[in-house]
Amino acid sequence: MSAVAEQPRPPAARHQPPPARPSLLKRLIGSEHLAGWMFVAPAVILIAIFFLIPIGWSLILSLQANNLLGSHHYVGFANYNALSKDHVFRSAVGHTVLYTVIFVPISVIGALGLAVALNRRIRGIRFYRLAVFTPLVTSTVATGILFLWLLDPTFGLVNYVLHAVGLPQQQFLQSPSEALYCIVAMTVWGWLGFDVIVYLAALQGIPEELMEAAEMDGASRFSRFRTIVLPLLSPATLFLVVWSTINALQLFDEIYVTTRGGPLESTTVIVYYLYQQAFQYFNAGYGSAIAYVLFIGILIITLVQMWVGRRRVYYTS
Amino acid sequence: MRRAGFLVALGAALALAGCGGGSGKKGSAGLSASAPKPITSGHVNITVWEGYTDSEANTMKRLAAEFNKTHPHITVTPQFYGNSDYALQKVLAAIAGGNPPDVSYLYGSNAANIASTSKLVPLTNWLNQDKAFGWDHFYPFERRVATVNGKVVGIPALVDNLALVYNKTLFKQAGLSYPTKNWTWADMKRAALKLTNPAKKQFGWAYVNDASEDTVWRFWAMLWQAGGHILTPDGKKAAFDSAAGIQALDYLQSLSKAHAIYLDNGSDNYLPLFGAGHIGMLWTGPWDLEQIRQSKVDYGVTDLPADKNHQTISGPDNWVMFNNGSKRVAAAWEFLQWFTSPKVDLQWCLGTGDLPIRDDVQSLPGFKTYLKRYPGVEEWVHNLTNSKQTRPVSVVYPKISTAVGQAVQGVLLGKYQPKQALAQAAQTTNGLLSAPQG
Amino acid sequence: MATIASLKDDTFLAIDDPPPARRRRLPFSPWHLVLAPVAVVMLVPLVWMVILSLETKSEAANFPPVLFPSGLHFGNYVTTWNSVPFGDFFLNSLAYSAATVAGNLLFCSLAAYAFARLKFFGRDVLFVVLLATLMVPYQVLLIPTFLIVKDIGMVNSVGGLIMPNLCSAFGIFMLRQFFRTLPVELEEAARIDGTSRLGILFKIVLPLSLPALATLAIIQFMWSWNDFLWPLIIINSATRDPLQLGLATLQGAHYTEWNLLMAGTVMSQIPMLAVFLIAQRWFIRSIAFTGMK
Repeated sequence: MSAVAEQPRPPAARHQPPPARPSLLKRLIGSEHLAGWMFVAPAVILIAIFFLIPIGWSLILSLQANNLLGSHHYVGFANYNALSKDHVFRSAVGHTVLYTVIFVPISVIGALGLAVALNRRIRGIRFYRLAVFTPLVTSTVATGILFLWLLDPTFGLVNYVLHAVGLPQQQFLQSPSEALYCIVAMTVWGWLGFDVIVYLAALQGIPEELMEAAEMDGASRFSRFRTIVLPLLSPATLFLVVWSTINALQLFDEIYVTTRGGPLESTTVIVYYLYQQAFQYFNAGYGSAIAYVLFIGILIITLVQMWVGRRRVYYTS
Repeated sequence: MRRAGFLVALGAALALAGCGGGSGKKGSAGLSASAPKPITSGHVNITVWEGYTDSEANTMKRLAAEFNKTHPHITVTPQFYGNSDYALQKVLAAIAGGNPPDVSYLYGSNAANIASTSKLVPLTNWLNQDKAFGWDHFYPFERRVATVNGKVVGIPALVDNLALVYNKTLFKQAGLSYPTKNWTWADMKRAALKLTNPAKKQFGWAYVNDASEDTVWRFWAMLWQAGGHILTPDGKKAAFDSAAGIQALDYLQSLSKAHAIYLDNGSDNYLPLFGAGHIGMLWTGPWDLEQIRQSKVDYGVTDLPADKNHQTISGPDNWVMFNNGSKRVAAAWEFLQWFTSPKVDLQWCLGTGDLPIRDDVQSLPGFKTYLKRYPGVEEWVHNLTNSKQTRPVSVVYPKISTAVGQAVQGVLLGKYQPKQALAQAAQTTNGLLSAPQG
Repeated sequence: MATIASLKDDTFLAIDDPPPARRRRLPFSPWHLVLAPVAVVMLVPLVWMVILSLETKSEAANFPPVLFPSGLHFGNYVTTWNSVPFGDFFLNSLAYSAATVAGNLLFCSLAAYAFARLKFFGRDVLFVVLLATLMVPYQVLLIPTFLIVKDIGMVNSVGGLIMPNLCSAFGIFMLRQFFRTLPVELEEAARIDGTSRLGILFKIVLPLSLPALATLAIIQFMWSWNDFLWPLIIINSATRDPLQLGLATLQGAHYTEWNLLMAGTVMSQIPMLAVFLIAQRWFIRSIAFTGMK
């Protein structure tokens, strides 16, 4: 930089014509707009075909009587009307809600306790963590087959253990009153690891200084937990509650592999009923109506949970 | 902006919905009036769908290989589709998807459902013309079940019936004399109660209780034995909620309350249990014979006990052919002709213990070997004469079966009372039968 | 606080912390009394699965259950492998998983980069629309997707399995969030140097995004490998079954032979278990990530 003050620009420069702009086409090709759309094109096409169109088509299907083999005609809201009177559907909803109401608290609270326990630095913690995470990796089908045997009234391990400690034998998956609870046990076993991991991650994100400061203030372990840890975990809790609820409402795989909705339809849940209607009885219109009702239900429940959560969840950043 | 996007999606969806489906309309095109001739050039691959397990699966693989060797222009590939209970659903789904198999095993009770699809190959003319096929040698009730409104929809793949199989050792231990052809329901009840021993996890009888057709058809046998019928003669209303039906269900209920019945949940656990000596009596068919033989249980076979008669139920199942083009149809026909010929059928019987599907198998020299290899099988062959009634051939039969299955299962599990359960099922049935068929 | 940025942190979840010495009243920490029974409950079913798979048919169908089989009947595995097309099951699953992982990685990266860094007409509206698809439970999509796949003639094929799962808004959302945490200066510098946008994505952004890409890959791989309902609907013949559906087919073939059924289950779970044990840290990180929004 020279020490001399810079000369102002000669006024003549203002009369020069501006440099020629590239043609419209060239601008378009080099533009960020085109680039942006080219980049998103594959994703947009795929999602449009396999998500957006099905969402609309499903609604249309729910207004039809369609047998998946080609013949269909419109019936207005007849499917929804029939659904409201369908007592099998109503009990499917009942079973699904019952399952969810038991599954979610057990998973979330159990996972919280386990995560706290697994957040220790004791010998063998690595083994314990692995033990808790491993069932998560097994597929729903494998879990179903495993528990079919474990809970078999004649050959199963659980009845053997009951027998050994003098408790009466149970029918488990073959009893209409016990089957759904067995499914809860099976799915908790299979999914607990997921919730534990999320809570562990959240626990490890709690700054040590906060805990130490509270300890120095004389707060007991329990009150420290209640007033510091729990609130700081609340985002994770909200996430797990919402996530578990959504998944619980969509239960299917384990039912298909174990009880097929029985005995006496005691484990028929909404998605299983949907599958039966659409793919076993070929009532595609009715099945689509069920799907939409499920969709609305999940949407409402999720929104309610998020609204309640917004007022009680404590965010740090 | 957002609204425009939604309208575009909706429009596209409407367009697609309009042109979706309807691919099966040209099904029967290309089928000749006379039976296809054997293939002499080129090569054709066909698939045969079945639900065979264990010895049946092994025999199927062996025979298919033999066919492929002796018929170099055709390759038959048997494909396991899972449980035959879901065969109809799988086949219909495949038709919907545009690629059905060439041949599929289907329950006789599904004959009416499959008869209406345009992809089916009707066999009426070919069987009537081709005398060498020997359609007359197939048992009358088989042919009745394979025919829907005059159209022959398949060739019998399996004929069977329910008979009483009992564990001789357990009977001796309990001091009971063996069941005979003169046994009554009362005799069986007495034996079942005596053979039941909870401490040893021993049951007098086993019943498949998964509310599927397997649950229902045993009940039909009892219904017929008590003098009842499934439907009224005109086929328009349910008749199983009669006194005979209630009597049969009462009988089941009383035995179940006494814990004398092992309630199988559909997984066929009763078979290894019987083999291990935990069950005294079974109502089963020749398909279990091979496993029972291998279990080394000292067993005997006799007619089902009678109330008013000894009727049994037979469940002929069929090989159904689908139209995937004239070449594949010709190959499938050639395979089925070979497979259901007396000589090959005898091979099947020897490998599996299944009953011969045609009466001219009995005159073959190897038949005696078959009877010797499967002690007791002659009882089932004889029992075929007790098979007088068949299940209704109707499109809504699967749904009737579901309703009755729920009723029977509920009673056996102690949840329902026989009269109410049957009344409920009858109501559903009447509704199904009166709805317009379309 | 766990955030997407902490995906880059290698000490995340500190799974191999060494235990420091502590003075205790009991010879061991009381937490063992809680953790040990839990570990037993978690592992016993899996251990039993292996034990059963090595027993004979009569041992497996025995009451009381046989704890120590007479011998290690590895032949069960051979029998099971031969009784259903197990080799095909594995190959189909591999194709399904690999294709969907590759598809998602590619298409989601492209789209996420555009959403994160490029300004284009309708960008924000489009993003919200794509994101909205995540709100819809996939059962709503099931029937129409079946009809669509049928119309393009891909029913009962591995292609039909793959097509609807080649790209999902989840990956786009996740990668977009991640890309936005990267310093923009690097990309701007490259732009000035004349690198094309595609080049920036592949040469600069993606190499810096390996943790996020790995997370997406693992999540998608696990999802595809364990998928059951979609294959159940779209596949009819046993030779085209992916692994979990094949396992259900095996169940249909050997209802009463628990030893074979367990052998099949063991074989079908080994790949995922092995990958999990080897790449624990990545797995756990991926799963923990889904808990962060």
